Amino acid sequence: MINLATRPTSKRVQLMATCLCDAFYDDVAKATVEVLEHAGCEVVFPENQTCCGQPAFNCGQWPAARTVMRHTAQVFAGDEPIIVPSGSCAAMMFHGATLEFEGEKDRAAIEQVGGRTWELGDFLVNGLGIKEWPGEFHARIAFHRACHTRGTASGPAVMQLLESIKGLRVLPFGEAEQCCGFGGTFSVSFPNVSTAMGELKLEHVEAVDPDYLVSGDMSCLMHLSGLAEREHRPIKTLHFAQILRDALHHRHGQATH
Amino acid sequence: MPCTTAMAKQLIDTYVAELPPTVQKAVHQSTATTTEKRYQLLGDDFTDSDALRKLAGSIRQHTLEHLDTYLAQAEESLTARGAKVHYAVTADDACRAVTEILLSAGITKVVKSKSMVTEEIHLNDYLANHGIESVESDLGEYIVQIDGDHPSHIVRPIIHKTRGDIARSFEREGLGDYNDDPETITRRARKFMRGKYLEAGAGITGANFVTADTGRLVLVTNEGNSRFCLAPAKVHIALVGIEKVVPSDADLAVLLNLLGRSATGQQLTVYTEFINGPRRHDRPSGPEQMHVVFVDNRRTEVLASDCKEILRCIRCGACLNVCPVYRQASGHAYRSVYPGPVGAVLSPLLAGDKFKELADLPKASSLCGACNEVCPVDIPIPDLLLRLRRRAHEEHVPSPGTPPMAGFALLGSHPLIWRSAMTFGAAKDYLPLDKMPVPYLGSWLKTRTLPKWRGGKFRTWMKSRHGRNGGNGK
Amino acid sequence: MTAREKVFSGIKSALAPLPEREARPAVPHGVADPQWLAGEADNVALFKKRAKVAGTLCFDTPGGCLSWLYEQQAKTVYLPEALASLDAKFAEFVQLTHDYTRGRVDEIDAALTLAHGAIAETGTIILTDESTPDRLAALAPWTHIAVVRKDTIHRSVADALAAMPDDPNIIWVTGPSKTADVEGILIQGVHGPGVQGCLLV
Ligand code: SF4
Repeated sequence: MINLATRPTSKRVQLMATCLCDAFYDDVAKATVEVLEHAGCEVVFPENQTCCGQPAFNCGQWPAARTVMRHTAQVFAGDEPIIVPSGSCAAMMFHGATLEFEGEKDRAAIEQVGGRTWELGDFLVNGLGIKEWPGEFHARIAFHRACHTRGTASGPAVMQLLESIKGLRVLPFGEAEQCCGFGGTFSVSFPNVSTAMGELKLEHVEAVDPDYLVSGDMSCLMHLSGLAEREHRPIKTLHFAQILRDALHHRHGQATH
Repeated sequence: MPCTTAMAKQLIDTYVAELPPTVQKAVHQSTATTTEKRYQLLGDDFTDSDALRKLAGSIRQHTLEHLDTYLAQAEESLTARGAKVHYAVTADDACRAVTEILLSAGITKVVKSKSMVTEEIHLNDYLANHGIESVESDLGEYIVQIDGDHPSHIVRPIIHKTRGDIARSFEREGLGDYNDDPETITRRARKFMRGKYLEAGAGITGANFVTADTGRLVLVTNEGNSRFCLAPAKVHIALVGIEKVVPSDADLAVLLNLLGRSATGQQLTVYTEFINGPRRHDRPSGPEQMHVVFVDNRRTEVLASDCKEILRCIRCGACLNVCPVYRQASGHAYRSVYPGPVGAVLSPLLAGDKFKELADLPKASSLCGACNEVCPVDIPIPDLLLRLRRRAHEEHVPSPGTPPMAGFALLGSHPLIWRSAMTFGAAKDYLPLDKMPVPYLGSWLKTRTLPKWRGGKFRTWMKSRHGRNGGNGK
Repeated sequence: MTAREKVFSGIKSALAPLPEREARPAVPHGVADPQWLAGEADNVALFKKRAKVAGTLCFDTPGGCLSWLYEQQAKTVYLPEALASLDAKFAEFVQLTHDYTRGRVDEIDAALTLAHGAIAETGTIILTDESTPDRLAALAPWTHIAVVRKDTIHRSVADALAAMPDDPNIIWVTGPSKTADVEGILIQGVHGPGVQGCLLV
């Protein structure tokens, strides 16, 4: 078990951009960099990074997952905090990895890396001690708390930041604790369940008619926005890092989604 | 619209597509309401209910890891108070022990109070085959029994049935003309069951807990049926999983406070009964004999596995209620006695050499962790599901719809290949993706679109800022 | 090997490889008390409040209880020996019986029994074989009224568990018998009493 309370908090940080931002959501990664820089951080991007290995891990194919994780641990060597704009990938680093390396000789080395990993919102609030976010963002949003931040400090941290932004209103919606139905390969191996879950989430979100559906995980948003678009009822989505960045520039969120 | 991709199907996913919308709606409504009540009550009553869940988990884990000591102690406490203790290694052993007790006392009619372990060992069928009439007294379980059905929820066995279904069953069984008023249904059951209680020679129950130091079997019901099973009958037989032991009465303060709130959003269940022996000789009612059958039925195998935490379970059903997959699928989709998240872990483990037949259950989860968050004994269900997925993979159980990960491992550990894949992935935007013969892609695209490919764009941007602030690490 | 030996050897070999075992956690008395319990000064008042939440009727005097039974048109009422002091009062208005036999289960409209104690936190009545020898009497009639002595009310579930009597059958009753099995609709009086009452003395 990794002790999350002892993670480093220095302002020189390594960015783990995540494979989804690498492939689809470059603006989220950019926003993350700008937000961290605004918070006074020096952001290092290790070029050789790939993925946290979660897809293989979740399928039970642990040797494959370990191969990827070993690579990742090498890429992120050092002692700086590792910041991830995804609760899911962060949880893979500090929770999944310990499970995946049970009984492996290099578990300690892997846990060293996990023991430096922060989800972005958690780092800003609990690592750097930022309690409010400056700027303005005039919108009504629904915030979907990604499931892999359950039991971590990320959910409340992000809420605290968002609620402190001038002009921003976070709308409560029904059955908020429920999963969106993405679940990685679950979304393709259980398409009916996954779709039904996503539709339920969209119904609850649409019922409060927000300007944006916001989350800290692009995987949930990729699934939900893909579903909404396929059903011809597109919904605008944003990562909270994009809101934090745009608030600084008093922009109203002309971000890529 | 149900997914009809050419890909092989996961059973639960198929089941969901075929579940009548009325059942799905009933299940969703009931589970969502109970979940909401639970949140509310725990929030109102405790400043830190999470700490309490962790404490309860630790009590249970401690007991499991000292089970030999506590089980022996429970046996000793019960024996000292005049109960007879039996052990059963297999389901068959347990059924045989019960039958022998009944036949040697000349009993051919019994009433049963709801118990998951008796479902697990299929006791009713066994008794029927030996000429013993066994009637389920819990209203829901009784309806399951007369319909030859299976419970679809561990607390609400007929969550999948409408009042109309029940009214038809009652009519068929001769309990009056068709009437679907829930009150009438309940009154008819009351009247019918009274006769059964009074003519039964034995009452069969399970137990929610057994305290080691005082040998108390704790039974909780809302209907009062367990009490009724144990008032007129001459013999009480309790079937108890060996993992149900807790060290002492004091531990019950934590467990009982969590059980009622987690199961049904009640502070306490209506009837909480503590039994540690047959009635004393000068009392007018209550069984003269008390038998406790401790059932293993592969629990020791589970204890030896890397999923032993599942034995902490106190069968509250909270994980079923909160589970988005259970809410879509209902209980029968799990094809075993224990549905939902707890069942997805426990059922394959209890299946022994039939593990493969149920190895798909642990896959039927988005790993959202809601089950762990509500579990009153803090069982890390998602971790256990993952370990079972690993086991299934190691045992080469085919898994429909799960992509092989060798290619991913290669990509993910070779940054140069990864980076070029990122750049070339842009080709996807120019390909007719929905026509591609890639089943996983097809399954995704059936109900969702994919975003535009922007592979490598962030890397280029980051490079362009090199030197401005920090730049690229190696 | 006997079944017992098989089970125990199974447990022992399952546990043997564990490098360490979970220590017994401290369970401080009252750790699972609801947070509002500390603010409640009076056990009797709290019991009444919580009994109401649980759906249990409370009577402060035998007269109150009697007139309620009368209004409900209870004709035959069971009173055990232990409550003989109430006989004279009740016999005027209802037909009393002291003997609860199986054959007459449905003839009795209401039963009064003596409770062993109660729990204020949850509005629970505690019955034992010692205090309430006839299990059926407290269960079969539509109306069951337990007579609770105010000085036997425990403050909390934890207190009640710390003072468990030596009795083979202790039952806590928190409201009337109920079910929500049919479409989640709450119905009272499934097998046990449809009306659960409590007479405080
Ligand atoms: S696993 Fe936990 S939540 Fe699920 S039934 Fe068991 S105790 Fe309840």
